[in-house]
Amino acid sequence: MDCQCCNRKPAQVRICDVERNECAEPFNVCPDCFTLIKRYMFDMARPLMPTADIIREVQSLLGGEKSLALPDQPGALAPLGVESVPACPECGMTLSEFKARGRFGCARDYEVFAEHLDPLFERIHEARPPRHQGRLPQSAGEPELVTRRRRAAELKARLDAAVAEENYELAARLRDEINGLEKAPEKSQETA
Amino acid sequence: MSEAGFDGFPHVLGEWLKGKGPDSDIVVSTRVRFARNVRGFPFTLKATPQQRADVLALCEEALHKVHLQRSIVTLELDKLAEVKRDVLVERHLISRELAGGDGPRGVAYGRGEMLSIMINEEDHLRLQWIKSGFDADRAYQALCKVDRALEKVLPFAVSDRYGYLTACPTNVGTGMRISVMLHLPALTMKEHIDKVFKAAKHMNHAVRGLYGEGTRAFGDMYQVSNQATLGRSEVQILESVKAIIPRILETERQMRGQLYAEDRSFLEDRVLRSLAVLRNARRLNVQEMMSHLSMLRLGIDMGLVSDVPMRTVNEMFILGQPSHLQERQGRPMNPTERDTARADMVRAMLAAHSN
Repeated sequence: MDCQCCNRKPAQVRICDVERNECAEPFNVCPDCFTLIKRYMFDMARPLMPTADIIREVQSLLGGEKSLALPDQPGALAPLGVESVPACPECGMTLSEFKARGRFGCARDYEVFAEHLDPLFERIHEARPPRHQGRLPQSAGEPELVTRRRRAAELKARLDAAVAEENYELAARLRDEINGLEKAPEKSQETA
Repeated sequence: MSEAGFDGFPHVLGEWLKGKGPDSDIVVSTRVRFARNVRGFPFTLKATPQQRADVLALCEEALHKVHLQRSIVTLELDKLAEVKRDVLVERHLISRELAGGDGPRGVAYGRGEMLSIMINEEDHLRLQWIKSGFDADRAYQALCKVDRALEKVLPFAVSDRYGYLTACPTNVGTGMRISVMLHLPALTMKEHIDKVFKAAKHMNHAVRGLYGEGTRAFGDMYQVSNQATLGRSEVQILESVKAIIPRILETERQMRGQLYAEDRSFLEDRVLRSLAVLRNARRLNVQEMMSHLSMLRLGIDMGLVSDVPMRTVNEMFILGQPSHLQERQGRPMNPTERDTARADMVRAMLAAHSN
């Protein structure tokens, strides 16, 4: 069966709208179109739409396009995303990329995209409020390797500042300290 | 029968294929899974190859620290041949995603193949415990022990608000998924399976065919699992699965009883024809094998077949999968060769039990 959205590629994904626990007639679409459809489905800035309407929008979006090479370019669908949210400083994930992929890039994303998460989690987990109820680990601090790298990054920033201020005495001390921090992990990598 | 085993694999299959345990007439296995990430590293999707290697090394070190390493097999998957990775998938020790992924990633599994720990799947760690039969409590408790030992030596990414932080929003919170593998031939034959799907969905559980695509399940095997992981505790999730499964079991048993009462010879005919095909076929494709094994399994449960142990049926299910067959023969085979090898294997395994 051909994709009911682009009518070109073979359909591999079936989408069913569920209302009052009844499944409506399913739509069969190809993975490429599904990638686009998903963005509408998980876009918190929009009200929930019936799949038929989403397909119509995607079709009009694809109207003049020759290929479906959109999925790798989150920017191509910019009007859907909320671009005012900055990217995650840790992993570089943007809100629109998160929406397109449906995956977080790192733990920090949970803070960066905080205001968008509650409605999403409420819907996925049918939990109001969407707060953790289970246990939490009694774990130690972060791995030494991470602490060391984080510390090195901090020192590098200070080193740059010291050089800019022409405080070479401080810069030399920082440089030695960074070298010391960076030597240790190199060694452990060789033995790993 | 000779067993050209996977190197490092025991010749017998995992505990969960024993065909024992509570409600094992319908429930094949119960699996509990926790998703965990190591604090301080981006999730696998955004991790550099170096960071993935670091995570893998940290996890292996942690397993060593909790003294798990002696009883488990650790494999680095990027150094393992594709067919061997697929064997691990067919044994339910790793996911298809981990097998097909790239970069440093691994699996550690117990010798009984109940415990399996995937490293650098979508989350840094996926811990799972499989028990045969419907045994959610024990699978959960066993996995908790592993989790609690690991958390003392490996810091996990958590927040007070959202619990365990995971790559996918559907796993956040407890990171816990319980999946119960069910054999539901009577519900399928009576075309009641859609009602089960809907009822489960209503109770916030997902049902999917274990093999095959979409709603059409090969071998009448289905998997029921909790959908929500946030906003309820581990124990609440456990209780909700324990509330829904008995209802499904009851309807399946009812339907089996009805089939038997309404038209016993029809049921016997289906079962014994399937056994005849398995005993005599010279070529069997996977789908055909699974549907006949499904009937055979039903026949054993209902006392219509007595000379084939359930364990053999379960073993054929796994050993007849494409990668297991190829691993056994020690070479790649085309589909026709596989169908022939599969039929030969099934005949030999059944001959060992016929009187």
